Amino acid sequence: MSDIIRREEFGDVVVLHILTTSVDAISAAAIAAECQEMRPITVLDFSEVSFINSAGISALLKFVVNARKSGYQLFAMNVTPHHQKIFKMVEMARYMPTIEERDLAAYR
Amino acid sequence: MQRVELRIPSIPIFERVVRASAAEIGSAAGLSPERVEDLKLAVSEAVNNAIDHGNRGDTAKLVGVIFDIDGDKLEIRISDQGGGVERLDFSRHVIDDERLDAGYLRGFGMYLISALVDDYEVDSSQQGTVLTLRLYRKDRQQ
Repeated sequence: MSDIIRREEFGDVVVLHILTTSVDAISAAAIAAECQEMRPITVLDFSEVSFINSAGISALLKFVVNARKSGYQLFAMNVTPHHQKIFKMVEMARYMPTIEERDLAAYR
Repeated sequence: MQRVELRIPSIPIFERVVRASAAEIGSAAGLSPERVEDLKLAVSEAVNNAIDHGNRGDTAKLVGVIFDIDGDKLEIRISDQGGGVERLDFSRHVIDDERLDAGYLRGFGMYLISALVDDYEVDSSQQGTVLTLRLYRKDRQQ
């Protein structure tokens, strides 16, 4: 089990809870490795994340690439207002829109 | 003026040390919490750029970071010991279908810096590159 990501699966959904506070050059490889096991609906949970830089964004983009190749849906959850601003600046939000935790209830 | 100086080896984990310092210094300089987040990200990008592209990951080479609090201005100078660069590309860089299809997933750092700080300048020579970032307290800008 990764100490960077905790997986939670139900039906076609996997929620990847990012456990590290920094999505950066140090944690990027461990986070990106999880993109090999995506589900038709993949949700990245940023509730524990307090920092994301461009190395982290590059890791997140590997999920975007795999989702596009597989026809899967990719969402972000519990994104801070600051990180929503950064995602908007690089237009990440187009490829990984935010979802509310309550919206997942229908899949459980 | 109050000055804090750091020097770190070109090893990515030490970027976190600079970032933590930036957070404390930004708060001490009177920046708002949101501007402190901007500062942390801009400094992180600049330090990683100095490690990866300036010093090319040579762990024997240092990255220097000087924080100067001067009235309502916070100036940060990030220097490397590389051979200099012709130019740094601060142009707007966003995710689009073309870049994704080409597998081009990097290169947002300089754009983020330019968008997050109030002004910046680059001084590069064969002795290395110095990137200077400036942020001003919000009450000055209004």
